[in-house]
Amino acid sequence: MAIIGGGSAGLSALKQLSNLGKQAILLEAGSEIGAKNISGGILYSKKPQKGTVTNVEDVYENFLNDAPFERKITKYILHSTSKDKVYSMDLTAAHDYQSNFGYSVLLNKLNSWFAKQAIESAEKLGGGIIPGVHVKSITWNESGNAIIQTDELDEFEVKAVIAADGVNSEIADMVGARPKFTPTQLYQGVKVIVKLPEEIIEKRFGISSDEGVAHLFAGDVTLNHIGGGFLYTNSDTLSVGAVYHYHSQITNPSEPSALIDALLKNPMISEFIKDDVPIKSKIDKSLPQEEQLRIRFAMAKQIKNWNEIRFSYLSSSGRQRLIDSGKYKTDEDIKTRLDGIENQLTKLGVSFGSDYVEAEYGAKLVPDGKRCRMQKPFFKNILFVGDAAGRGVFVGPRIEGLNVGIDDGVRAANSVARAIDKNDFSANSLGEYYSKETENSPYTTDMKQIDKNYLKIFLDATKDIPKDIIGSRYGPILKMMSNEKLRGIAVKFANILGYEKLLPMLESEDTYVKIPIQLAERLGETVFRSYSPSIPSISDRIGNLSYNDDNSSHIKVLNPNSEFMKKMVTLCPAKCYTEEGGNVIIQHEGCVDCGTCSQETEWKHPRGEKGIHYKYG
Amino acid sequence: MAEQFRHLYVVIEHEDGEFLPVSLEMIGEARRLMDDFNSKYSSKEKVVAVMLGHNIQDTSKQLIGYGADAVIYCDNPELKDVRNTIHTKIISQIAQDTETLGEIEVEYAIDIQRPRYMFFAADSIGRHLSSTVLTELESGLASDINQLVIEDIEMSHQQKTGGKKETYEKTLEMYRPDFSGFLWTTILCLDNRNPAFPRYYHPQSCSIIPGVFELPKSDSSREGKIIEFVPTIDTEDLRVKVLGREIIESEVDFETPRTIVSFGRGIKEEPEQNIKLVEQLAKELNGEVGITLPISKKPYPISSSLDAKYMIPDRVIGTSGHKTSAMLYIAAGVSGAMQHVWGMKDSGFVVAINPDEDAPIKDECDVFIKGRMEDVIPLLIEEIKKQIQIVETV
Amino acid sequence: MGQLNIAVIIKLEPDFSEGNVSYNPDGTLNRAETKNTLGPHSAIAAHAAFFGKVMYDAKVSIGTMGPPIADLALQQAQQISDAEELHLYSDRIFAGADTLGTAEVLKTGIHKMKEKMDIVFSGHRASDGETGQTGPQTAWKLGFTFLGNVISYTVDMETRTLRAKRLISLQGTPNIIEEIEAPLPVFISIDPTYKSSFDKVSQRLAFHKYQKEAAERADNYKDYFTMFNAKELGVDETLVGLPGSPTIVYKVERVPKSTATRKAEVVDGSDPEQIKKVVARMKEALDAMVIK
Repeated sequence: MAIIGGGSAGLSALKQLSNLGKQAILLEAGSEIGAKNISGGILYSKKPQKGTVTNVEDVYENFLNDAPFERKITKYILHSTSKDKVYSMDLTAAHDYQSNFGYSVLLNKLNSWFAKQAIESAEKLGGGIIPGVHVKSITWNESGNAIIQTDELDEFEVKAVIAADGVNSEIADMVGARPKFTPTQLYQGVKVIVKLPEEIIEKRFGISSDEGVAHLFAGDVTLNHIGGGFLYTNSDTLSVGAVYHYHSQITNPSEPSALIDALLKNPMISEFIKDDVPIKSKIDKSLPQEEQLRIRFAMAKQIKNWNEIRFSYLSSSGRQRLIDSGKYKTDEDIKTRLDGIENQLTKLGVSFGSDYVEAEYGAKLVPDGKRCRMQKPFFKNILFVGDAAGRGVFVGPRIEGLNVGIDDGVRAANSVARAIDKNDFSANSLGEYYSKETENSPYTTDMKQIDKNYLKIFLDATKDIPKDIIGSRYGPILKMMSNEKLRGIAVKFANILGYEKLLPMLESEDTYVKIPIQLAERLGETVFRSYSPSIPSISDRIGNLSYNDDNSSHIKVLNPNSEFMKKMVTLCPAKCYTEEGGNVIIQHEGCVDCGTCSQETEWKHPRGEKGIHYKYG
Repeated sequence: MAEQFRHLYVVIEHEDGEFLPVSLEMIGEARRLMDDFNSKYSSKEKVVAVMLGHNIQDTSKQLIGYGADAVIYCDNPELKDVRNTIHTKIISQIAQDTETLGEIEVEYAIDIQRPRYMFFAADSIGRHLSSTVLTELESGLASDINQLVIEDIEMSHQQKTGGKKETYEKTLEMYRPDFSGFLWTTILCLDNRNPAFPRYYHPQSCSIIPGVFELPKSDSSREGKIIEFVPTIDTEDLRVKVLGREIIESEVDFETPRTIVSFGRGIKEEPEQNIKLVEQLAKELNGEVGITLPISKKPYPISSSLDAKYMIPDRVIGTSGHKTSAMLYIAAGVSGAMQHVWGMKDSGFVVAINPDEDAPIKDECDVFIKGRMEDVIPLLIEEIKKQIQIVETV
Repeated sequence: MGQLNIAVIIKLEPDFSEGNVSYNPDGTLNRAETKNTLGPHSAIAAHAAFFGKVMYDAKVSIGTMGPPIADLALQQAQQISDAEELHLYSDRIFAGADTLGTAEVLKTGIHKMKEKMDIVFSGHRASDGETGQTGPQTAWKLGFTFLGNVISYTVDMETRTLRAKRLISLQGTPNIIEEIEAPLPVFISIDPTYKSSFDKVSQRLAFHKYQKEAAERADNYKDYFTMFNAKELGVDETLVGLPGSPTIVYKVERVPKSTATRKAEVVDGSDPEQIKKVVARMKEALDAMVIK
């Protein structure tokens, strides 16, 4: 029994299989769990009215105790922006709908924690997690078992496979389980991690150490794309990013890093991310070389110290840790030391000013379950879960993937356990059973139908919007929707028609761009910016990431002159594509494996341990 | 006691019947040192080459022409491949064999015990061999040396001299660059003259960095002694079996040449022609051709032979490829990306050719020739033909 | 088919990474201000020992000669190799030793380890000092067959022989990979390009199991740690420290030509006179002595 892919879904499957006493190994291409995961992100635990889901705290008994998450989101606000004006709407009710909780998360930390729990139980049964392994092909023998060939290990045989290898699932591609997702079925997500000390976050966003906020953005910050920006508070970082309909990017290509920059430059956001930063001065070139070198190293060292101590100082647990270490007796001691370092830095010519500190840039495609979920998420004895099966929930501001993957992982694990007990791994027994299980999932229902109660909450939250802004297009519909009885009928009708027919209207430039801009201009408040953030260039962002580049490219360009590939020059978040004399060529160093170019390339993940290695995720 | 230690022994390395260049470089430097030594000290100490192998008798004679006064060779099928244990044992036997030492200089046959100095190559073989030989001989070794001086040294050292002032005559000063690249450390191998634990330490030995010293020219008129050494071989020392040797085919040698000419995306306008120009320039300087990382991705269409020869990862200079400390580095059409700069910044003299004065390479070079490579390289080649003659290496 | 016993000799070295290293005004290393860590080559040697642990269930011991703070290096090496015995040989009289004096201490220390060693690993060289001599000299004193530049190895537990691949780089010839076979015991100086390779699922799982064990042991490294002074070690005092060192550092000087960042002379590529001057400078550079 093998699980391919060590993201939240795969790990959940491993844990569940172990809970059921079944041996399994999990293969992960990254050098460690979490190296290749990235999410917005918020992890939800839901309590649907109809049907049941398995939540993260059900799979992992000590999830709430150990708390490998960042902050509990207690406020959820949607901002409409136009230049320096912002109109804000509190959508906390929408966020809380059918929800136990939503925690902001950083996937490297989260998945590492999941892995630790899963490994303990898995190893007792003779299984475990093997990182640094990339599956390159799967074949079957006469008994129907799957033979897994990897770049790194001798081939081996298993009775069943759970494919949890994400939106760009190579397993799906190599066995022909489904076609690659197309731009209309996908979102392109891009984000940066901004560092901000704990207590500054709490003060600025008006929250306590147990709380967190999620801010969403629509309007001019989207650069006319369909989708929105987000800013989530983590413990001592912020996740700032955007998720845009990939099709809207194809129609009107904007560089992903430019999309982030548009967000960062927005006055409200730039005020959110602001911090006190040391500004290095230029070293006097007339000094002897060795003196210049000494100053450079001394500056680097002291700035490193200052950052470490300051972040600990501005965190109650951080202060406690420093005192426990024995290095300091009181909080004042720490402050004195910090002041001391600041003095030393000033002597070296360093000044302090306002700016923001960016830590990690990343991007990934996200599947829109409404448009691309696999109807039958299996192929022979391979079960597909989470993003690999195209099962992301996207309903307006509601974006859920992690919890879906976790729930899918459990369903898949249950199906496999059942097959083990019956010793029947055939498609009829295993695949079909799992298929039915996912059909029954309330998440699948959300991918197929509009939930009229969610709609009501949403409408209530937006009821103050002046009718004329909504325009003639939406006016009558909204009027109808506000009426309970009519809403029920309308929704039923819409669901019969099919979600997809409505989508172009719901997910349009009007909804995500024009109306929010008007809202902001008409009703918004002005936000004053107190500084101008210095935004790193894309080459700095890529240069800052950790890679283990392979010699040859893991992605091959199939069609160097197609229109699509030409757009990749703009749309690749890592600028791996350039155009030379009409041909598009790839330079794979710096690739973040987002999948943006997968449609018209021979797209593979890098070999084991190679490629991008996210620190935050 | 003074005549117990005489002569400079050089341990020769060879592969497939050819001397490694460093062996000859060591002989050349040994010759220079001992000529100075003999003139300074009115002496007649010798440069003695030591060569182990199989079917090497004829080859070993050539060492006289390169500057050795004597060659001690040991020819045995067991010595075909270098195996540390047996080679160490035999070289140590040779270094202590009074009979051989006596044959080299009959006048001192009675007194002489060991060589005064000993040289090894600082490469995969020589570094380890020198270490084990000097352990067996219980004497001192300094590694990775790039400068040598023989002098009388007057000093007092708490341990070595017990605090008294002593003169150590004919001491070999061995200079090695340290890891920071800023400092030169001088190592001495000195007898303990401290009455608490007196000891002699000879031979004073070192391993020498390949490529540092000049390759000598062969003078066929030189004469010298060829001495065969028959070793005592203990079968216990032969237990390592060499099962096979595989040469890793690499056309590219960035170690030997003193010049490297690299090209980057500046070849863009006329890739085929420009690469050929770079080739020519490298040839004039007896250098190797390197490339920047983007070139290894074959961004420009050129003839398949040039493509296969140059646009390969093996030629990359930079973090993804090789690091070089060539004496002369010419970067043609290279913008100066950090990864590439890391690979070439230790070079001695750097010349950049680039039409863009804002290219980052300008901060990493000694001379920035502003211009397109198709214009500049032909001029350079002409001028080089006039000014520089590069001696062909062996 | 007895137990396979592996020892690793390691070194505590300055941490050269930016943010940890400090330099003096004259460009030399400021050791007092620079953090110390397990030397990178020593770490690779520890990885090589761990391969033996995973594949053959070997027992690993680690030894180092150094000041009392070198226990940090032992702990780090234990974390990598899942060692069960950590030795620190520390005494004032060991100070000032060159490689021969150091090798004498290490040889004596290895003899003091609980088991009789089948394989001893050392790193290729230290990142400060960089002679690469201590390994082979310790090997010779132990009387073990010395194998340098090893890039991979396997052990036949039945015949107690080792097979290894070595990377031989000589100037002027292409690199050679030599495959050799030698009876145990051996001393291996591990090549910087050494890579452990675990090809089977079962080996990967064992790797992980021992890695976890290593982390737990390293957390409690003091339980596995013994420090020896000269008397406890039983060394011959005339063979260690400065008295036992044939070589000394006589002096340290600035290198005449600095290879720090350059100031470029900008030249017009279309002016033949200027080209002439450039080529003259190139010739000068080729004639000068290289400083590596």
